[in-house]
Amino acid sequence: MEGLKMDFLSSDALEGSSSMEKISMIINRVKAGDILVIEGGLSPSEEAELIETTMREIDIENFVGIDVHTLERDERSFFGFSKKKKTGLTIIGPANVMRSVKKKSNFISMIAELGDSGASVH
Amino acid sequence: MRDFFRRFLSKLLRRDQKLKIGLYGHPNSGKTTLANTMSQDWLGKPLGLISNIPHETRAVYRQEKVSITQDGYELDFDIIDTPGIATKVDYKNFLEFGLTEEEAKNRAKEATKGIIEAIKWLDDVTGVLLVMDATQDPLTQANITIIGNLEARKIPFIIVANKTDLPESSSEKISSVFPQHTVVPISALQGENTGELYMSMIKKFK
Repeated sequence: MEGLKMDFLSSDALEGSSSMEKISMIINRVKAGDILVIEGGLSPSEEAELIETTMREIDIENFVGIDVHTLERDERSFFGFSKKKKTGLTIIGPANVMRSVKKKSNFISMIAELGDSGASVH
Repeated sequence: MRDFFRRFLSKLLRRDQKLKIGLYGHPNSGKTTLANTMSQDWLGKPLGLISNIPHETRAVYRQEKVSITQDGYELDFDIIDTPGIATKVDYKNFLEFGLTEEEAKNRAKEATKGIIEAIKWLDDVTGVLLVMDATQDPLTQANITIIGNLEARKIPFIIVANKTDLPESSSEKISSVFPQHTVVPISALQGENTGELYMSMIKKFK
């Protein structure tokens, strides 16, 4: 039975990486079948770049793309007057593995499918 | 309604102002139907064919110039209908629409190129209509991603809650998920509430 590999990356682990380094690290891991859980998120331009790179990498037979899910949290400004949404967690995995993702504003439930076996991640 | 719309135009628009509007959204959310409705309302002729196969609009379709002239003012729209923004393309989804495996694979490859083009278009638009199918769950990552991009680039946009003619539609759900953004419920197919959409466009995209 094939296993499910999950990688957890702290925001520190990505600090200092260029956008290109982040994208290629993500794509390489997801293409290998891993699910990545990243503390924090990508910038909007990095997200667009990630989609673009994914589209270039899709080879129809083996890699059909990615699924990206984020959990947001409120971040208060300096004096606590205004609230801003900030990405708390980003989950990226192969689209053919991440199935039935249920999402609420503060909760993600995901079932990963691996051939005949299944793994549930909450 | 049209006179009302035009009065807004003459008040709000400067001479020589050109707006380029992008139509974005999930496959089959009704982007092409909306483009057709706008073209019918403003030009009196339809734009293109509508298909039930996702990513059918695979080459970026572009109506170069849709012009409205009123009281010496001219409003030009570039209506761009792109494939939906998606993070995955599985050729097996195309098999359900009666395509052969080879056709489905070719269609999937074209879809990946179309999505890259759609992302590039974002660099060059002044306003976006983000079209959502109001019968579907609006809280998708593709919607969140594109809204994040539009906000970061300060591109004005309106969320169009389409397909309100269907009984299972819920534009309220879209409004509750995106409370900080302008959501206009319409039925592009039936032309319902398009007047409110056009007025929101004038307010947002001026």
